[in-house]
Amino acid sequence: MTATLQNLHGNHACAMGAIAAGCRFFAGYPITPSSEIAERMSRELPLVGGTFVQMEDEIASIAAVLGASSGGIKSMTATSGPGFSLKQENIGLAAMAEIPCVIANVMRGGPSTGMPTRPSQGDIMQARWGSHGDRPVIALAPASVKEIYDQTIRAFNLSERYRMPVVLLFDQVVSHLLEPVELADRSSLQLVERQWAKGPSAEFEPFARTADGVPPMPRPGDGLRTHTTGLTHGEDGFPSQDPEVATRVTQRLLDKIEHGRADIEAYECHDTDDAEILVVACGISARAARAAVRQARAKGIAAGLFRPITLWPFPEEALKAALGKAKAILVPEMNAGQLVLEIERICGHDLAVEGLNRIDGQAIAPAEISQRIEELAGK
Amino acid sequence: MNEMNSGGFEIRDYLRLDLMPHFMCPGCGHGIALRALLWAVHELGIEKDNLAIVSGIGCSGRVGAYIDANTYHVTHGRPLAFATGLKLARPDLEVIVITGDGDCLAIGGNHLIHACRRNLDITCLMLNNEVYGMTGGQVSPTTAETRLTTTTPSGNSEPAFDACKLAEATGAGLVGREVTMQTPALRNLIKKGLEYKGFSFLEVMSDCTEIYGRKNDLGESAEMVLAQKSDMRPEAYSTITEQPFRPNRLVTGILASNDRPEYGATYRDQAAALRGDDNGEA
Amino acid sequence: MSNMEIRFGGSGGQGLILSGRLLFQAFVMDGKHAAQSQSYEPTSRGGFCNADLVVSEGEVDYPLVSAIDYLVLLDQIGVAPSAAMINPGALVLSDSRLVPAPPTGEFTLHQAPFTDEAIALGSHRAANVVALGTLVALSGICGRDTVTEAVRAGTPKAFVDLNLDALRRGFEIADELAPAEAGAKVVQL
Repeated sequence: MTATLQNLHGNHACAMGAIAAGCRFFAGYPITPSSEIAERMSRELPLVGGTFVQMEDEIASIAAVLGASSGGIKSMTATSGPGFSLKQENIGLAAMAEIPCVIANVMRGGPSTGMPTRPSQGDIMQARWGSHGDRPVIALAPASVKEIYDQTIRAFNLSERYRMPVVLLFDQVVSHLLEPVELADRSSLQLVERQWAKGPSAEFEPFARTADGVPPMPRPGDGLRTHTTGLTHGEDGFPSQDPEVATRVTQRLLDKIEHGRADIEAYECHDTDDAEILVVACGISARAARAAVRQARAKGIAAGLFRPITLWPFPEEALKAALGKAKAILVPEMNAGQLVLEIERICGHDLAVEGLNRIDGQAIAPAEISQRIEELAGK
Repeated sequence: MNEMNSGGFEIRDYLRLDLMPHFMCPGCGHGIALRALLWAVHELGIEKDNLAIVSGIGCSGRVGAYIDANTYHVTHGRPLAFATGLKLARPDLEVIVITGDGDCLAIGGNHLIHACRRNLDITCLMLNNEVYGMTGGQVSPTTAETRLTTTTPSGNSEPAFDACKLAEATGAGLVGREVTMQTPALRNLIKKGLEYKGFSFLEVMSDCTEIYGRKNDLGESAEMVLAQKSDMRPEAYSTITEQPFRPNRLVTGILASNDRPEYGATYRDQAAALRGDDNGEA
Repeated sequence: MSNMEIRFGGSGGQGLILSGRLLFQAFVMDGKHAAQSQSYEPTSRGGFCNADLVVSEGEVDYPLVSAIDYLVLLDQIGVAPSAAMINPGALVLSDSRLVPAPPTGEFTLHQAPFTDEAIALGSHRAANVVALGTLVALSGICGRDTVTEAVRAGTPKAFVDLNLDALRRGFEIADELAPAEAGAKVVQL
């Protein structure tokens, strides 16, 4: 495998990862701090036969992405908190109608217009619960420029495999970070291509219950002429409010995540085997935590880091396995306490779970985390 | 309108018959609009496999599902945005948007003006029944002044939109209006829209007999469409700027044409030139 | 693992990010691990702007600066966000006209007319590269040849000559400022 080393900004790495993954359609709307993704895509896509369009607003952008993906083209959009809020209804449509797409959300300070140029991790729960109703969610949280590239490719793969929207969550710091990135040789990339339905049309059920729970998708022009709707629908694609049908089809959407957990979940453990103080953090906060854990180890404190790369579904069993000798859990995050709620849900009955929060538009520094680790260790 | 002069057009060939009976109320004009659309599709020889119908939410949004084609029923107000992505990704498809006065002019108004400006090859049928029928009869952007709706209990006091003027002003390649009673004329208008390479905006004057008509004592369906035909509703379709409280004729046919480059072709030409210059890898 | 932390601070539009990127490129050419980040105000021009580098022998854990070893200040607005973060023993360079009140403390401060020198070369916009030259020459954090190559490769064509002139002028300023210190490293990696 040959690879080329390129110095890339986080946002550019997202665009390049998308191109490498086979994304050939991007619709977006300018918003700090994500705009460089759109800018890069506007330059790259025409060169590879794809299409870039700047739409009239955030809602139009995600709607156009769903249209393009329905046409059979791998598609994405990028935004930040306020735009992510505007896109939520259509993200729900993507989940309901099982239209693959990727949404990059570069998190900035909120609520509302908030602090456009400052980092935040305030959209962790928005990614999970932002759209109404019970729906499957996949959200990935890369922590470095290289990882933005890799996880963008993975986002497309998961989206195509499970026919659902996949959200990339990273923050302003990583989005504007310049780091060297090893770009994999395209021929060595493992890319997932959507399963397309084939005739005959008479008996075809576009939302059939298949063995893996993911029905092949009909592509317009291929002769199947099906109906796609955001209304609750039966296997035939047509609206139904029959309680049995509603339960069955909604449950199948949710089950796609449960069946795919092993494939979807990604995480990283640093020194967790014997860790008494376990830090759980994602994104840029995890990089501060990694430095802090190193410092704590140098002082003889058994600290470790569990870093979820997949935030939703949360890698629950992996976290439990990392708890081993943990006496306390510390969750540093750039919000008033979101990820900590999930950690408390998973292990709060047996362990003290503490948050370390910043809501001032500043990243959490390693020193702040090491200080708390030392306090928790009683040193 | 009988099959004798329909030139071999058999509507059943284009419908999903297993979905019948349809959901439309007795007297609703949307079914006539659907017939005119499918008639135009038939006469132009458009393959059902290559036909994509995108619709939003409301009574108009449910019409598309009856068409035996690739049909998409998306979020409220967003069919034009969805169709923009679909058409850019798949220029080989014939993309038609079926929308309503609320879907297109209120919640989706921003998408309409930019679809007109962009001039992508999409045909947009706005079924105007002057009311939010699906949700029970609330005032819409095209409800005539003084009309009673469930949210204008004392009569509507907001001026109504002239959607065609809006589409013309924002650059739609082709703009037209027709009433459902003149079905062959409506079919011809839709044919012109489908044939036009660019964005065509077609306003179809439908009627909501069951809710709007009853609430305002406008009579049965026949009386409502006859009223449209003879342009006897003086307060309807006035504009804000042109003598808003005086009689204003309901003009039909092609109202504006603004022939200019189709956006998708322009983008693809530009991209091809770029690839040529840069030895792209398309 | 010891990190080296470098900041170019000043006002948006002064080319600070470009300086950071050029120096980043030079470190990468030297085989070092680096991460360059930025913080700025919502206005494109006029608010404060910082371009930061963290350089490490291994992979950079945390890419933001907290104890600055090398600080270049091109505008007074850049002083406040950085003053409390300057490492004891750091090297600080500031523009003698645009930073009338530079920070004070346990570090080496050199003031030089980077902007005026750039104007003399043809454009105030090259002040960032003049200062980059002085920083590199005075500190020896990377070789003069390396940074010259990085500037040549990383500058838009129309400005290559101007920026190479600016870089050379920066080297000369360093030699004039502290001939004895030139090449000395404040922080050893």
